[in-house]
Amino acid sequence: MRFDGVWFRYGRRLPWALREIDATVEPGQTVVVLGRNGAGKSTLLQLAAGVLRPVRGSVRDRPPIVGWVPERFPADQPFTAEQYLRRMARLRGVAESAAGEWMERLLLAEHAGTRLGDLSKGTAQKVGVAQALLARPGLLVLDEPWEGLDAAARTLIPEIVAEVTATGGIVLVSDHRNEIAGLPGATHWQVTESSVRFEEPTTPADEVIIEVAVRRADADQAVVRLRAEGHRVLDVRDLAPPQPHHGPSGPDASSATPQSRADLPTKGGSL
Amino acid sequence: MTALVSMRLAAFVRGGRALAPLIAVLVVLGVIYGGGASPASVAYGYSAAALFPVLAWQSKLVLDTEPDTQRRLARTAVGGRGEAIAGLLAAALLALAVCAVAMLAPWLFGGIETGDNALTGSVLGVLAHLLALVPAVAVGGLASRAVTGGVRNGVAVLVVAAILVVVLGLQGSIAPWLVPPVMATARALNDADPPPAATLLLITGWAALWCAAALGGYGWLRRSRA
Repeated sequence: MRFDGVWFRYGRRLPWALREIDATVEPGQTVVVLGRNGAGKSTLLQLAAGVLRPVRGSVRDRPPIVGWVPERFPADQPFTAEQYLRRMARLRGVAESAAGEWMERLLLAEHAGTRLGDLSKGTAQKVGVAQALLARPGLLVLDEPWEGLDAAARTLIPEIVAEVTATGGIVLVSDHRNEIAGLPGATHWQVTESSVRFEEPTTPADEVIIEVAVRRADADQAVVRLRAEGHRVLDVRDLAPPQPHHGPSGPDASSATPQSRADLPTKGGSL
Repeated sequence: MTALVSMRLAAFVRGGRALAPLIAVLVVLGVIYGGGASPASVAYGYSAAALFPVLAWQSKLVLDTEPDTQRRLARTAVGGRGEAIAGLLAAALLALAVCAVAMLAPWLFGGIETGDNALTGSVLGVLAHLLALVPAVAVGGLASRAVTGGVRNGVAVLVVAAILVVVLGLQGSIAPWLVPPVMATARALNDADPPPAATLLLITGWAALWCAAALGGYGWLRRSRA
């Protein structure tokens, strides 16, 4: 799929939201779209999904089946979760049983009979994810899919992304908290000032580990900030109590020895 | 596309939005048939003209029922063209149901004179309602939120169109072809005897051209307005 000199603005008198985007995404590739609020991540994703039409340029070779998970699921509809997903399955031309399968997998079964408007934000978001997957998408566009999701459902997203890319599908995901940074081989697109900067996927060989000590109260924020800057947070742990005969704690306590580095887990950890 | 039409109809009916235009239809029928029986063609000619703004309003309501994001989700599922056509079809089906009620109800309470011309008048009535229905759906489409972007602009398009259809449709109008021939149809049918075939052909051709232009405009605008 190719963005061919794509320009977009929401109205003639409004400034350009995106300017001259040229990019190519290969089958099986995962692209993580990063950027601050209002930078144009959702606009870029909607252009990719074909929801918005470029004002200039075009998006070429888009796979025929597109699954789009909007940032906010439109819950103001007079259907229950199950009725909605069954209707969306018929819309997609797939068997209605696909709705049940995805409801099981996304832990939605107990909310099947609940009206969309009465669902919690996270559960409604799961319905949004399920509708995008009813027909196996060749292009899956996820706009901040983690918003409001519980821990069990959060781990499903990288799994689903991996399944789509394994069959040659393309995944575009926006992620202002950098939750998916640990996904292997993901390319990062940084949206800033109406343009996109491309960052090559990092490999373990390009990375080093820095051990940093932060105050316990600031730990949450530090992890969020580091992830937002594109770093992988591998582990969060308590410092070992200071040993009196090794001198004062402080800089020494936070310096990493080869031994302690070897102790770190190699996969992404969490708080 | 059938699935999307059915989904939109279900959302419109279940959401309770169908109630307001239904009441308006009953009011229109009460006004037209409250005074006693009339020849079929005359009654149906006026009924079609009086229903035009209600049908346009109802079509706008049908097209505006879905949240914007759901409309865009439907677009990713069935494509932009399919989504736009499914919306118009849903609106047309509901308008057809309203027209059927408007044509059958007067028979129940003696609003139509039964005579030699009742059958011809009824056939002309079906034509008159169709000549109001399709332009009304097109106006509803042009006034829908997907095209106008907001409530204020949508209501403005709807009200201006409804007024122009009457004002520019009056006899001696300076630009009657700017609006669909809803008033011209009512005038042509304002007699117990059927109008000449040439008049009917002219009115039908005029309505077809107007609808082609309006629906084409809707389709063109919807290409960039999701």
